[in-house]
Amino acid sequence: MRLYITGYSSYRSDMEDVEVKKELKQRYGLDTRRQDSFVHLAVFGAQRLKEKSIINSDDELYITSGVGNIDILLKVDTYVVEEKESIRPIDFINILGNITSYYVAASLGMKGKNIFQISDNFTYIHSLVSVYASMNSSKKDVVLGAIDLVSGPDEVIKRVLGLDEACEVISSVNYQKLSLEDQDAIAEVEFDLKTYTKSEIQALIDADDNALLASKRCTGLDVESDPRYFETMASHAINHAIERGEDLTYIDCFEDAYKILKVKCLG
Amino acid sequence: MSKMASIYILDYKIDSAQGGLTETISAIKDEDIKMSSKVIATEQEVLESPFFLLQHEVQEKQESIYLALKQVVSQVVSGLGTEKRKETALIIGTSLVDLYLTDAIKDTVYPYRKKEYSAQKHSIDTYAKRLSQEFGLNDFTMSINTACTSSANALLEGSNLINSGMFENVIVVGVEIISPMMSSGFASMKLLSQSRLRPFDVNRDGLVLGEGVAVILLGKEQSDWTLMGGFSNCDSVNITSVSQSGDEYIDVMNAAIRETGISTKDITAIKAHATGTYTNDLSEINAISKVFDDPIRFTALKPYVGHTLGACGVLELAVLMGAIDEGFIPKTLSCRDPILKEYVPISEHQKCEDGIFMCNYFGFGGNNTSLIIKKESR
Repeated sequence: MRLYITGYSSYRSDMEDVEVKKELKQRYGLDTRRQDSFVHLAVFGAQRLKEKSIINSDDELYITSGVGNIDILLKVDTYVVEEKESIRPIDFINILGNITSYYVAASLGMKGKNIFQISDNFTYIHSLVSVYASMNSSKKDVVLGAIDLVSGPDEVIKRVLGLDEACEVISSVNYQKLSLEDQDAIAEVEFDLKTYTKSEIQALIDADDNALLASKRCTGLDVESDPRYFETMASHAINHAIERGEDLTYIDCFEDAYKILKVKCLG
Repeated sequence: MSKMASIYILDYKIDSAQGGLTETISAIKDEDIKMSSKVIATEQEVLESPFFLLQHEVQEKQESIYLALKQVVSQVVSGLGTEKRKETALIIGTSLVDLYLTDAIKDTVYPYRKKEYSAQKHSIDTYAKRLSQEFGLNDFTMSINTACTSSANALLEGSNLINSGMFENVIVVGVEIISPMMSSGFASMKLLSQSRLRPFDVNRDGLVLGEGVAVILLGKEQSDWTLMGGFSNCDSVNITSVSQSGDEYIDVMNAAIRETGISTKDITAIKAHATGTYTNDLSEINAISKVFDDPIRFTALKPYVGHTLGACGVLELAVLMGAIDEGFIPKTLSCRDPILKEYVPISEHQKCEDGIFMCNYFGFGGNNTSLIIKKESR
């Protein structure tokens, strides 16, 4: 499967020192009330995408995440479950996953399909699969956003992501504007449904001329991986490769099964 | 715009407050509806609200929810051989709170129950992953949360996966076990009826929540039921409601008709979303009256099973198919004084064995979905 990228945006908390909420208000003139940090991060990434991409109102929107909105559950769990207060309507609404994608769509002026989804294994690559399937039916372009926010003690996210306690987790938001056509494309991303064993993936790596990057979950491979972690890192890897103008092969791993995606920069 | 390719509905099973599919259809046919109640606490009051609870208790715990899912999914998977299972993806539509995440929060944040660090990869999709591993399905799983349209959208996503040639079959699951957090949320928004669900009635006073698990198997093999397609969009005047004119619903219903290459005259009946809340029903009846120039048969199923939130996409589709397979469209309970006199939900079960049906689902966050299904008698 192949999709063309016509626009992208990235933010990583370890690479830029940005006050996201302030930036949304001051730079983009957006109302940030009734929203939490997860929504702010999602909208911030979307606004960066909007600066360098044309977003059509009927484009489809897919938002994915490693675990979703920790911020709201942390807040609600504290006052509802532990302090026995009743849930405030606005917090109740914000618990729903698609409220994040609603705010993203509203900030981008999108009125098309709007999906918030999570896959336990390969959440970003599986979202690419969903997007590809949808585009084949609808023939519409898709905005795909991947959001991971470290909120509260980072031990919470490390527990649910199954990470080593010493692992350094960061917040990140990454978007791509995707098309089935190569017109105006700046890169193409190739992926498939197939999973590989460790020996199969090693053979593929050995025969690959691209720059290589592996998820931190891929232990035992002789491939560079980012020292810091967030679950949708594959999305950032794509954007970073485009930024550098470098073709890339990215390897992800889940419970001894490997998947691969390839980025080719165009033009 | 190209007409969507049809996907067949090969099997469907449910677990509702009325029981399994057979028991639910019998209860509807005989109007022998079981409804329980539940204590719901809000800041202002403690309510004893009507509630459609599953007949066997499902606790708000991961294992209990998983077993409830497994019980219904196993009924559908049992008909698939080993090789077919490997070509079968699984998508869940739900608005369940991620209990793995709340556990991690409790184990970390609260001093009195602080636990030694341990970590295992989990998410809301862990139920799907476990089902996939348990039944030897393909490792492609996905969990969609778009509020009350979650599993309706999962059906469209599943049909896309088959249409694109990636999978032979997709199992689509809707599940909702209502947590105190969700029920008190609806109560705090004053959306719960204290008596019963009265869709499209001028005296409607809110929804009744329901629990449910429902499973539909989509595939390419021919069968009597077809998912012809549908449409999903996100357009709202605000985050919790749409305009009273129903313009947002009109858009999605018209798009579903257009995408499936049919006309309004082809539609035999509508299964309305019909939550029994003031705004939803007003917007929906206005939309129906504008999309369909002539009065059309339509009904509401939530008075039988409750509003099962993220599960209602699959569950109500399965209930409608089960009733049609038994030769009738269920009447709408408790609508005595309809909002529009020309567009009245059916007040008696009506004989019907086949046809094309529109199924509407509308959710918070402006997420609207309309599905078109077809039954051909052979």
